[in-house]
Amino acid sequence: MAVALLRQGIHPRGGGCICLGGDCPNCVVEVDGVAYVRSCQVAARPALEVARQTDTPRLPDESRPLETELRTAFADVVVVGQGESGLAAARDADGTVISFDAHRGEEAIGLYAGPTVVAKTPAGMVSVQCSRVVVATGAAEEQPICPGSELDGIFTKRAAESLRAAGIDLGDAVTIDEQPQRFEGSGRVEAVVTAAGDRIAASTVVVDLGLHPRSGLLRMGQGLEVEVVGDAALTDSLPPPPTEGVVCPCSDVTVSDLEAVWDRGFREMELLKRATLAGTGTCQGGVCLPHLRSYLAAKGVSTPAPFTARPLTRQATIGEVAAGYDLPPFRRTALHDEHLRLGATMDRFGAWWRPWRYPDPEAEYWSVRERVSLGDVSTLGKMEISGPDVVALLEKLYPCRVADLKDGQVRYALLLDERGYVLDDGLICRLSEHRFYLTFTSGGASFAEMWVRDWAETFDLDVRILDRTMSLGAINVTGPLARELLRRGGVDSPPAYLAHVDAAVFGVECRIVRLSFTGEVSFELHHPFSDSVELWRRLEEAGADLGSYPHGLDALFTLRLEKGHFIVGMDSEYDSTPRRLGLEWAARLSKPDFVGKQALLRTNRLPLNKRLLGWEMDGPAPIEGAILWQVATPVGQVTSARYSPVLAKTVMLGWLRSDPAEPEGISCDGRPVRHASHPFYDPDGARARA
Amino acid sequence: MNEFVESRVRLTWPDRLRSEYDVVILGGGGHGLATAYYLATRHGIRDVAVIERGYIGSGNSGRNTTVIRANYGVPEAIRFYQRSLELFQGLEEETGRWIMHKEKGLLWIAHTEMGLRAERARAALNHAYGAETVFIGPDEINEICPQIDLAGGGRYPVMGASYHPRGATARHDRVVWALAEGAMQNGVEVHQNTTVTGLKVSGDRVTGVKTERGDISAGVVMMALGGQVTMVASMAGLRLPIRSHPLQAFVTNHYQPGLDAIVASTELLFYASQTARGEILIGAEIDRQPSYSYRSSYGFLSSCAGRALALLPFLADLRVLRQWAGICDMTPDYSPVMGPTGREGLLVTTGWGTWGFKAIPAGGEAMAQLIATGEMPELIAPFGLDRFARDLPLSDRGSAGTQ
Repeated sequence: MAVALLRQGIHPRGGGCICLGGDCPNCVVEVDGVAYVRSCQVAARPALEVARQTDTPRLPDESRPLETELRTAFADVVVVGQGESGLAAARDADGTVISFDAHRGEEAIGLYAGPTVVAKTPAGMVSVQCSRVVVATGAAEEQPICPGSELDGIFTKRAAESLRAAGIDLGDAVTIDEQPQRFEGSGRVEAVVTAAGDRIAASTVVVDLGLHPRSGLLRMGQGLEVEVVGDAALTDSLPPPPTEGVVCPCSDVTVSDLEAVWDRGFREMELLKRATLAGTGTCQGGVCLPHLRSYLAAKGVSTPAPFTARPLTRQATIGEVAAGYDLPPFRRTALHDEHLRLGATMDRFGAWWRPWRYPDPEAEYWSVRERVSLGDVSTLGKMEISGPDVVALLEKLYPCRVADLKDGQVRYALLLDERGYVLDDGLICRLSEHRFYLTFTSGGASFAEMWVRDWAETFDLDVRILDRTMSLGAINVTGPLARELLRRGGVDSPPAYLAHVDAAVFGVECRIVRLSFTGEVSFELHHPFSDSVELWRRLEEAGADLGSYPHGLDALFTLRLEKGHFIVGMDSEYDSTPRRLGLEWAARLSKPDFVGKQALLRTNRLPLNKRLLGWEMDGPAPIEGAILWQVATPVGQVTSARYSPVLAKTVMLGWLRSDPAEPEGISCDGRPVRHASHPFYDPDGARARA
Repeated sequence: MNEFVESRVRLTWPDRLRSEYDVVILGGGGHGLATAYYLATRHGIRDVAVIERGYIGSGNSGRNTTVIRANYGVPEAIRFYQRSLELFQGLEEETGRWIMHKEKGLLWIAHTEMGLRAERARAALNHAYGAETVFIGPDEINEICPQIDLAGGGRYPVMGASYHPRGATARHDRVVWALAEGAMQNGVEVHQNTTVTGLKVSGDRVTGVKTERGDISAGVVMMALGGQVTMVASMAGLRLPIRSHPLQAFVTNHYQPGLDAIVASTELLFYASQTARGEILIGAEIDRQPSYSYRSSYGFLSSCAGRALALLPFLADLRVLRQWAGICDMTPDYSPVMGPTGREGLLVTTGWGTWGFKAIPAGGEAMAQLIATGEMPELIAPFGLDRFARDLPLSDRGSAGTQ
């Protein structure tokens, strides 16, 4: 494109020495609305819209759809550059070779660990992981640094050769081979004054000032399997120190700017760069780096190193580098379409889409409290664990007792980290002597598997671990009529409270686990996910005349809060010990050992600095996160707050950040708040056990 | 000359390294220099040497993403960063130097019900402890930053945000230089290119440092090192609860001002702002693997670009100029550590994770006060190293923006 423009007598940028090698910023234009495009690196084609770039382009107003693709590949050798040495390297290399040729628009933008070379090509982005990289990027021609260097009509030697080869007449071009004193002219160059002081009139000046290796990729590849061939391996010799004129055309930095900051104490390469912005523009030092080094060398700085080479060596747009990336998806349970059919508004919760409302949380709520309701709890973490050492492992993992669980029993348990902080909670179900079924929170599932496996390895225990989170669905049947619904499904002897049985429900093999999060009789039906839809529909049909209505998360959060159940991560914090949560009973310190025990033994003796407490107030619920005030002093924060339809008041959990005997005079949202023991609803748990 | 050439700061360098100073500060980054600055200007303690392995600001002070904010998630942090935010507001007037401080307002976007809940709680807590943060809905978000795609790329719809109107940016290098100059003018010596090889220890007391250029005795040694603090601390037999992880970021070429607010999303995991020069600066999460490597990765660039485009699709045609990495010292609770070390004569300011830049003035002010008075200032008392043993962590993972 640069050649096409110059053929028309148009300097792409209006002035500045043209190199046609992609090394300088002097041919930058706006192409199809994309600014900072080096026109020498873009093939001209019909319908491209090219505009001269104003000094500082405007941000785009809108975006276009992303069309670039990313291709990933493997090769034994990647050769960057297809000049003579690059071609030879590609020919002589053993194994598979992938080459990038800047002359065909294949620009390597960075060299990363692996080694991995990423290139922008006309076909899209390409990322190649390889065993060895050959840098054959050649050398850049030195740019003239002197007054007048921003004029039109100045070309490097190679640029002039290319233009002539393209049939462009450069007229009475004069060639100089030393940094000149200055160029003269207005807009277009009219004369050049050589180093020796000779003034030569010319409307075109060709500069042949020597080469500097394009070593960016090589320096980026330090510590990786990278070799360099051809001109890229040249020893870099410093040009004469610049005395006047623009050193950095990207950031418009002159020698006198360098002088000014040097005089004020900026005497390191990096300080000089950062204080002037030289080298921080489009060409990333392509023009100015040799001159900055020679400037510093002349000041007595011994062997000033080039500044750190960083990707991108050649530019790509944000849209281009995003090629191949997809936003993390959210998982759907097997019942996703059922929820949509029932009119649920779905929300993303942790890694999952979950029904938030169906859409009437109050109807959902009363369905649980008074009749029966279905909840999709397929997102729970689920794990089967077995083996001769399984009891030993679980005794170490959980702060509660495990060995005394009988076959068919269920126990609620916390999971602690080594600091005694609550990581997760869930159920322990004993299936047989050496086989257990564990559940974890939806958000904790993937971490839990890692956690259990890590500790099994650490203690060198013989267990088998099978994560069933994705392969099993789970439906919670909850409400006073839950037993009747199960009976209709063929279950005559449902499990007692804190027990589980394996039984068919409407012909679907289920593990029926009985505990209660809602406060009513609850049976969790864990089953193969392929049967989820069948099971859900049968339950729905059979429950219709019982007044069954499903419940979403919104209603569930109210139901569980009335019971005072905390939710890991919503009510608990990073440093929530059982004591801070008011769950001392959940950690049996008389056990010989469990993860977190040593920490709890120590920290339980320290003063208690905060507690999660139950609160109640009249009127509607404040926001979750509302501040608890004691007169004008903030003393805590509410973590969960819901208006309780059955209690006709607001119930809350919230942290009190002190340990007064009985918190007095607390207010929230401008209203008095009472500390209240929880569960707020059915404190004896009679309904859940019924 | 471009308008950003530093034209006022004058740095003066000492000729030789002496063998004794009242105070030796290890690390010539923002925190070390701010401490020296406040020691000299507030407490008249001027026999101070700052020892820097490279050039001043060469560590995280010159690699961070320059956001200043106080919208943290624990009371102690809100108070501390609010003090820092206020000191930043006055720093140009105090030093007479242009640090390109600009109040922009920070939008912390929520994309789910749980995200909304977190941002509402943040606004309430900030308000209670003196930082200005309000919860706003999509319409107000659109007014503040019309470029945000409220559909969030389809998967991350914008449902609300906490808005922190005093959120600001400043040019990191200039903060370093303004503080360095102020310290130097008041007699502080800053020694660049000086590598610490050991600490001088006598019993339980640290009495000085060993460097490649000679040993130095000191009444107080303060470690203000980013990235390598655990290694230097180990020279005094001290273990710190720090893991160092790289954090990456990238910038585009420069454009005319247009992205007025600072935009962040914890759920999408990225944040973006426009620098004073006009570059769009985008950062995201720390690398999961602990490492001292400054190497950038394409995986980071690509995924971070993709996430940013979900919210700010108009950035698609901007050309990426450069990507880089810094090393973040992460604490277990995502809060910094300031104060005594348990070794007499040795203080530390560390654990600056991904929140160090915004804390420079307040951290320096407090550490200077600690050195001058021997007493932990109330503002930073909760941040002592002993908080882990006392089981009083300041858990603020949700405010790091980079978890």
